[in-house]
Amino acid sequence: MSEFLHMGGYAAYVWSAMGIVFLLVLLEPLLLVMQRRTILKNIRRLKRLEQRAESQKSTR
Amino acid sequence: MKINWFKYAAPMNFYSLSGKLIPFFWIAAIIFTLLGLYIGFFNTPDELGNGMKEYYRIIYVHVATVWMAMWLYGMMVFWSLIGLIFNTRLSYMVASATAITGAIMTFAGLVTGAIWGKTSWGTWWDWDPRMTTYLILFFVYIGYISLQSSIDDTRRSDKASAFLAVVGLAIVPIIYYSINCPDPDQCASLHQQSSFKGVQSDILTAMLLTTLGFWMYSFAVILMRTRNIILHREQKASWVSKLKEVNQ
Repeated sequence: MSEFLHMGGYAAYVWSAMGIVFLLVLLEPLLLVMQRRTILKNIRRLKRLEQRAESQKSTR
Repeated sequence: MKINWFKYAAPMNFYSLSGKLIPFFWIAAIIFTLLGLYIGFFNTPDELGNGMKEYYRIIYVHVATVWMAMWLYGMMVFWSLIGLIFNTRLSYMVASATAITGAIMTFAGLVTGAIWGKTSWGTWWDWDPRMTTYLILFFVYIGYISLQSSIDDTRRSDKASAFLAVVGLAIVPIIYYSINCPDPDQCASLHQQSSFKGVQSDILTAMLLTTLGFWMYSFAVILMRTRNIILHREQKASWVSKLKEVNQ
C-alpha cells in the first residue's frame, strides 16, 4: 500500500495532479448548489414583497 | 415517437427536463471516471519502464481535461451560433453556462500539463506551440466570461460574447495542428503528438473512460449552471413563482 502511494518517487507529482483536478470538480458543483440556494432565497423574498404589496392594495 | 425539440427551447420546459437528467449524468460521471482511473492506476503496462510507468497516471486526468477544454469550446460556439441565428434565449444561457466549465477544464489541463512536463521533460513550462496556443484558449475563455459580465443588458452581453466565441474558434484548429502538423520536420514541439497509433489498449481504455467521465461531469454541471441562469433571469416569471422549490 505504501509502495503504491509512493508512486516510485513521483508521489508529489501524481497525487498533486489528481488532487488539484478533484478539488476543482468538487468545488464547482458545490458553488453551483450554493448559488442556487441564494437565487431561490431571492425569488422567495421577491414573492413575499409582491404579496404584501398586493394585500395592502386590497385593504386600502 | 416524435420529439418536439422546440418545446425544450422554452426555458420553463428545459428547466424541468434538465432537473430530471442531472442525477443520471452524475452517476455516469462517477462510474466512468472511477473505472478509468482504476485501469489507469492498476493496469498501466510495464513496458513504459520504471519511473514513467508511475508518473504516466498524470496523463489520464490531463488528456481528459484538455479534450474537454477544446470540446466544450466547440459546444460554446455551437450554442452561440444557434443563438445568433434563431435568436433563442436558452442557447445563449447554455453557451454562457458552458464557458465557466470550459475555463475550469482548461485551467486543470494547464496545471496537470505543467506537472506532466516537469516529470517527463524536466520543465514546468515551455513556450512551445502547443502550450502557447493552449494558454491562448484559456485567455479566450476568460475574455468571453469577462465580456459577458461587463455588459449589464443581457441581450447585448449575450450577443457580444457569442460573437467573441465564434471569432475565437480560430484557435482550436491551431491548437490541434500545433502538434499534429502535416510536416513533422517543421514542428519543433516538445509536446507529444496526439496519435492513437502504438498506444497500449489499457492506456487507451483508461484515457477514453476518464474522458467519458469528465464529459458526463461537464453535462451535469453545465445543466446545473443553466438552471441557475434560467432561475435568475426568469425570477419574475409566473412559472418560477409556482415552482415547488420556491414554495417550500
